[in-house]
Amino acid sequence: MDFDPSANRVVGTARIPGAPAPKKAPVPVKIIVAGGFGVGKTTTVGAISEIAPLTTEAEMTSESVGIDNPGQAVLKTGTTVAMDFGVLTIDQTLKLYIFGTPGQTRFAFMWDDLVKGALGALVVVDTNRIDDCYPAVDYFERAGLPFVVGINTFNGQMAYSVDEVRWALAVREDVPVISFDARFRASVRDALLVVLDQALDKAIRMKS
Amino acid sequence: MTYPDPDDPVPPARPGVRPFLQSGPQHSTGGYTPTGEQPPVEASTTKLRPFVITSGRTDGGDPDIGMETQVTLVPGAPPSRLSPETRAIVSLCEESPISVAEISARLRLHLGVTRILVGDLRAAGQLDVHVLENDTPDPDTIMRVIRGLRSIS
Repeated sequence: MDFDPSANRVVGTARIPGAPAPKKAPVPVKIIVAGGFGVGKTTTVGAISEIAPLTTEAEMTSESVGIDNPGQAVLKTGTTVAMDFGVLTIDQTLKLYIFGTPGQTRFAFMWDDLVKGALGALVVVDTNRIDDCYPAVDYFERAGLPFVVGINTFNGQMAYSVDEVRWALAVREDVPVISFDARFRASVRDALLVVLDQALDKAIRMKS
Repeated sequence: MTYPDPDDPVPPARPGVRPFLQSGPQHSTGGYTPTGEQPPVEASTTKLRPFVITSGRTDGGDPDIGMETQVTLVPGAPPSRLSPETRAIVSLCEESPISVAEISARLRLHLGVTRILVGDLRAAGQLDVHVLENDTPDPDTIMRVIRGLRSIS
């Protein structure tokens, strides 16, 4: 492709009279919804999004460490994963993106792209398969991203109580463990508000 | 007794089998998955083809271009010869600002490919890419999101 590098960033200088004024781009913010396969991430995204969830395919490099087979070599693999996301327009200048990210395998994720600039994360847990969410919890703890553990109640059914899940995950005391129903908008909204409370706490701490 | 979510493509875990082991090939035979969440696609379909469009570049493009980064048309940009993919990107940006992830999803282009092409179009003066100067969330913005979220029912 042949382009002139000096042509970069000519905003505002080449405007043709009468051309429509450019619409100001809103500031995007994002929240990550993570968890194991089929725990209800897409349902969560779809419940709060103003558009039907979209899917993008992204490359994810992962390091599979031989947790279950000690002595096994570390495998580095690049896999294409489907990521679902939704949008919520807060106002004309602010848009919230909600990215549902796969995390069903015991990988040390290279999620840095995804997490960069994120407000926080909701880790969705199915009490029948609690350990599916361990990689996500590990990652967010290490990345220092505010996160909340949200137990998807699936029709009010929980194999374990909130306290038992907290015990199993051994998350820090200031990490909220809540239950919610991914199918209901109000319930997802409340779960995201808990994430935002955590994000606000961190942002205020960082500022002072 | 469990009541699986209707959107849940995964059958309940069978006792004695580590759950993540079940998320493999089992679902690739299941046909349509309603959530769009799919097991990794086989390498033969993913490794080579998308990056033909980018002339073989696979570096993922400018790291400052995030998935949520907003893209707009440069008003009055000079006409330029564009490939079908880049022309499709430009026409998607005509209506209103759009994120890189939305471009990728709507054109069914791999995210990495989209980022490279958006970077090309920016360099060619066709698109404005609104990279945030400071991507650390500030309390005022978070408060606005909280207020906005509270107001929905």
